[in-house]
Amino acid sequence: MIPIKPIDLSVDLVHHFLERSARFYPDKVAIVHGKARVAYSEINTRADNLARHFLSHGVQKGDRIALLMENCVEYVISYYAIMKAGAVAVPLNSDLKPEGLRYAINDLEAKILIFGSRFDKLISSSDLDAFGLTHLIRKGPLSSLGDVVSFDAVSRFSSGNDGHEFSTLNHELSDSDLASIIYTSGSTGGPKGVMLTHRNIVDNTFSICQYLHLTEKDIQMCVLPFFYVMGKSLLNTHFAVGGTIVVNNQFAFPATVLKEMIAEKVTGFSGVPSTFAYLLHRSPLAASRDKLDSLRYVTQAGGHMSKAIKEQLRRVLPSHTEIVIMYGATEAAARLSYLESSWFADKMESIGKAIPGVELIVMNEQGKEASTGEVGELVARGSNIMPGYLNKPEATSKALAGGWYHTGDQAYRDEEGFFFVVGRQDDLLKVGGHRLSPQEIEDTLMESGLFVEAVVLGMPDEFLGNKLVILAVPSNSSCTSNEVMSFCAGRLPKYKVPSEVRFAKNLPKKTSGKIDRKGCLALFAKTVAP
Amino acid sequence: MEQIRKQITEFITTNFLFDESITLGVEDSLLDTGVIDSTGVLELVAFIEETYGIKIEDEEIVPENLDSINNISLYISQKLSQLTADKAAN
Repeated sequence: MIPIKPIDLSVDLVHHFLERSARFYPDKVAIVHGKARVAYSEINTRADNLARHFLSHGVQKGDRIALLMENCVEYVISYYAIMKAGAVAVPLNSDLKPEGLRYAINDLEAKILIFGSRFDKLISSSDLDAFGLTHLIRKGPLSSLGDVVSFDAVSRFSSGNDGHEFSTLNHELSDSDLASIIYTSGSTGGPKGVMLTHRNIVDNTFSICQYLHLTEKDIQMCVLPFFYVMGKSLLNTHFAVGGTIVVNNQFAFPATVLKEMIAEKVTGFSGVPSTFAYLLHRSPLAASRDKLDSLRYVTQAGGHMSKAIKEQLRRVLPSHTEIVIMYGATEAAARLSYLESSWFADKMESIGKAIPGVELIVMNEQGKEASTGEVGELVARGSNIMPGYLNKPEATSKALAGGWYHTGDQAYRDEEGFFFVVGRQDDLLKVGGHRLSPQEIEDTLMESGLFVEAVVLGMPDEFLGNKLVILAVPSNSSCTSNEVMSFCAGRLPKYKVPSEVRFAKNLPKKTSGKIDRKGCLALFAKTVAP
Repeated sequence: MEQIRKQITEFITTNFLFDESITLGVEDSLLDTGVIDSTGVLELVAFIEETYGIKIEDEEIVPENLDSINNISLYISQKLSQLTADKAAN
């Protein structure tokens, strides 16, 4: 295992990232959002004010405070203020419906919710009083909602100890205390709250800074939501080194994002596979290539991206821009492995090797380390692995069985030690006598150049168990079913050839941008065959 | 222009505005109100290209053209006028 090199040994709690950068780079712009450019000192002062407000409301160490906002300056202030007060930050998915919000508030036993005005209707229709929520803090203009405190009022003005730097409850907090809980959608049993300690997040952040060589000169364009572990990791890594985060919530209009990347001289851009599929399909990325002088690297995580898209991305990005493929999980505080950019051409399909501080192996069915080339489950251990899921002891025991975190991904390791994920255990489809990974077929489909995105699904079938079908977004409106099927017949063995293709304008996605396979299956059923 | 605005309103109401209690003003940002996301923008672009027979360039997929019912209607009107002028010139 490669050891982690801490940026600063005195940093052992997550909010120390902000406090350290406010000390070393007080006037440096920490966040750019639209016309707002906010310095580290201002974020730290407002976070101190908000933390004092929490304490004056009786917040105790370990209390959970929920956050429901889009990416913005106030989000960042809230996130660090919660931890300064010794509480646990719980970023919630901005796509939640009333049932989901009630579930989370109940599961967390949260008493405080901080939210943006866009969520007024969701809040008022969720009947949250019944779940013990007693204090609402709202960002936005005056509202018709009842007992609500203005975010500006409690973060801009101090509620005590004026003139003194806020003294975090450091003496009471240790790095093994909880810092954050992030909900992840489980395939069974409802959403699971992944509990992450300060140590989990701090170590993973240091590790990422180390392998991406991040410094205070780095400027990250952030289009991924902060409630998603990858978005949160972008925030923490850049705050750890004193860099700058450019928040842009308009990725739906990629030309706008590219324009801002050029104007702000962004050095890093990160996305999930659909981010890059969208950028390559409907954005002026190729035309902007010569203007992206500062773009040092792009990182891709959040699931497997097809080789065809990776190759296309390599062709379109400036030659000096490195592409770093990464792999991780919410349960790992974000990151487990990365493929060093120098290996991109040779090992494009690999997720690379373990990051510093992480041990990664392929485990076979006998619970032993698999031999080279043998497919088994990818398991990991390290100081970044969660202590468990909130209120879910059974799921915790299963995920952490034998002292390893079980990723649920099927993978193998090649003779040079690089890991390759072949698919998710949950996604494996039983077709006749075969167990197939849709990922492999999807990769082949993408090589045809016929699609922007394609997903292979299993439709229940009386004889086969499942029959393979394709739901795809064609790159050209003239694409026909015959064209697709003859490509498949020419490239895939017979048992892997899907029986049908249907076209959609878009594939359903989760708010993190990942493909929603259940949603795709429902859309396939509703879509008429071409 | 009024006809275009009506068609666009109908398309957005049918495809994205599932919550009937939301009243969307013609100037309201589709993104800020949470009515549309990146997937929705692509659907909107495809609808405009198919319905009005115009080609939307990648550089034109920006909020100034597509983030409110009014902006969309104005943008389509301008594109159609340009198309007519180009045809006349040829």
